Amino acid sequence: MKLILAGVLAGLLAATAAKADEMVFTSWGGTTQEAQIKSWAEPFTASSGIKVLQDGPTDYGKLKAMVDAKNVTWDVVDVEMDFAIKAAKDGLLEPIDFAVVPKDDLDPRFSNEHAVGSFYYSFVLAWNKGAVSGEPTSWADMFDTKKFPGKRTFYKWSAPGVIEIALLADGVPADKLYPLDLERAFKKLDMIKSDIVWWGGGAESQQLIASGEAAFGQLWNGRVFALEKDGADVGVSWNQNLTAADVLVVPKGAKNKDSAMKFLAAAASPAGQAKFAEASGYAPVNTKAKAEMPADVVKGLPDAHVDGQINLDMNYWAEHRDEIATRWYAWQTK
Amino acid sequence: MTANALRRQSFAGLPAGSGGALPALTLVGLFFIVPVVALLLRSVTDPEPGLQNYAALFGSGTYVRVFFNTFLVAAVVTAVTILVAFPVAWMLAIMPPALGSIVFGIIILSMWTNLLTRTYAWMVLLQRTGVINRALMGLGVIHEPLPLINNLTGVTIGMVYIMLPFMILPLVGSLRAIDPMTLRAAALCGASPLQAFRRILLPLSLPGIAAGGLMVFVMSLGYFVTPALLGGTSNMMLAEMIAQTVQSLLNWGLGSAAAFVLLAVTMALYAIQLRLVGAKRLGGGL
Repeated sequence: MKLILAGVLAGLLAATAAKADEMVFTSWGGTTQEAQIKSWAEPFTASSGIKVLQDGPTDYGKLKAMVDAKNVTWDVVDVEMDFAIKAAKDGLLEPIDFAVVPKDDLDPRFSNEHAVGSFYYSFVLAWNKGAVSGEPTSWADMFDTKKFPGKRTFYKWSAPGVIEIALLADGVPADKLYPLDLERAFKKLDMIKSDIVWWGGGAESQQLIASGEAAFGQLWNGRVFALEKDGADVGVSWNQNLTAADVLVVPKGAKNKDSAMKFLAAAASPAGQAKFAEASGYAPVNTKAKAEMPADVVKGLPDAHVDGQINLDMNYWAEHRDEIATRWYAWQTK
Repeated sequence: MTANALRRQSFAGLPAGSGGALPALTLVGLFFIVPVVALLLRSVTDPEPGLQNYAALFGSGTYVRVFFNTFLVAAVVTAVTILVAFPVAWMLAIMPPALGSIVFGIIILSMWTNLLTRTYAWMVLLQRTGVINRALMGLGVIHEPLPLINNLTGVTIGMVYIMLPFMILPLVGSLRAIDPMTLRAAALCGASPLQAFRRILLPLSLPGIAAGGLMVFVMSLGYFVTPALLGGTSNMMLAEMIAQTVQSLLNWGLGSAAAFVLLAVTMALYAIQLRLVGAKRLGGGL
């Protein structure tokens, strides 16, 4: 409370100052952005006096349009990592100033020259205990409509995750996933296509599972964490959990680049990461963050389930994004 | 005729008072014509000059399928909306005005509620574990939940509900213009109610049906939220596909081409309808 007050006060002071320093942070809205405001923006404003204006949701089309038009109004943007790699290649991003952002403690899986990790998460298998008899234990179970009847829900958009799940369910070993065999994945998905309900956003995935509208689903672990916290009767299997990450980037030509770099340093700091993880259930990208978190929170993080954990290959996806998307929508709309 | 009036009348051959349309024309020019031209330019210049975006569009089975879906959904929605709206409009037209304005108010009231909220409400009603399926299963009418959502049925229900006022309004206008005595005359001449409907009421209300139908059809073509939430991926409509192309694939050129083709087809349909129904009658229905 004190901290929030201090943040508000600092914000007011900054606003009344003649040369109020400001910057714009853009993320996906909802509970995630709320947690980012509480864990990063407010303490950052308190300590630096730089006011952080919020915008959202993240829109890659808008980001590109801003950079193309050389009128960039976003300073820090939360994006999916495969997009960040592609965007850096297309010249849409500023390089990170690692003189300002300490690099040593950042998990190298989720940061690179043009991006600092925001948080990382796992796709897990979640189910409604009232709608499922027995316990599904692997992605293969989601494709077994005899043993586990009912609707299943998957992420609607072309993104790392579903293709890999289909291949794992079809018996492809985790270390042989890439390059992705799209033909085989779609053939496997065809088997259950009529039983799939797609979710387009996190809230929708929660609603589908909590109501039993879908018996099982591929969900972001943070969303399952929130369901459990709300007392929903859900089960979760971490077997073969698939990691992916959101990262923070600075669009090329951002107006407040210096403030943006300072913000990144605060967001990726052990304290910023620990606070965010505690609020969201997503995992920290700073290896020192765990030391600052309560033990029961650490237990619920993807970090606690590295056994059988599979890292989705962001570089592969960045390279083949368009090609996979074309195939994905062709299959989906059929 | 005063000199002033004469001068006004002869101004560019436009009728007197045309100057009042200037603000509206400027608005449309600035915020519709200019963006449309920019869109067209983008579709033939991004990423490089040429027609490759259009070639990609028509060469892509996905886009062709989504185009077909879009027009199918819009046609089904328009047809169902006309069927549902007609009896309501007729009732409104013959009702005492005081009662009529109350019913009218109820219809308009639904338009004041947020679109997203209304669509979510339909999700709650239509889903497998939703109110309708639970009630029917509780009553023993059905044993398996009916597939009312994530398909064409769900999209149609949700969109017809939203489009109804846009159909009812022009229909009431053209129905009110019909002299009730014509129907009485038909009855006196021995026409059955069905005959009177088919040969008197329907032809006379055609301008209203055409005006409302066109509006509903065109609005349906560009719909985004409702099909995205109540439809399945096999009913994906063009607006959603364009959003994906631009937002996620960053392919502004292809997105622009798709949007432009949709606009062109819509305009063509409008032109055909003008020829069939006649601009005057269409305008009179509004």
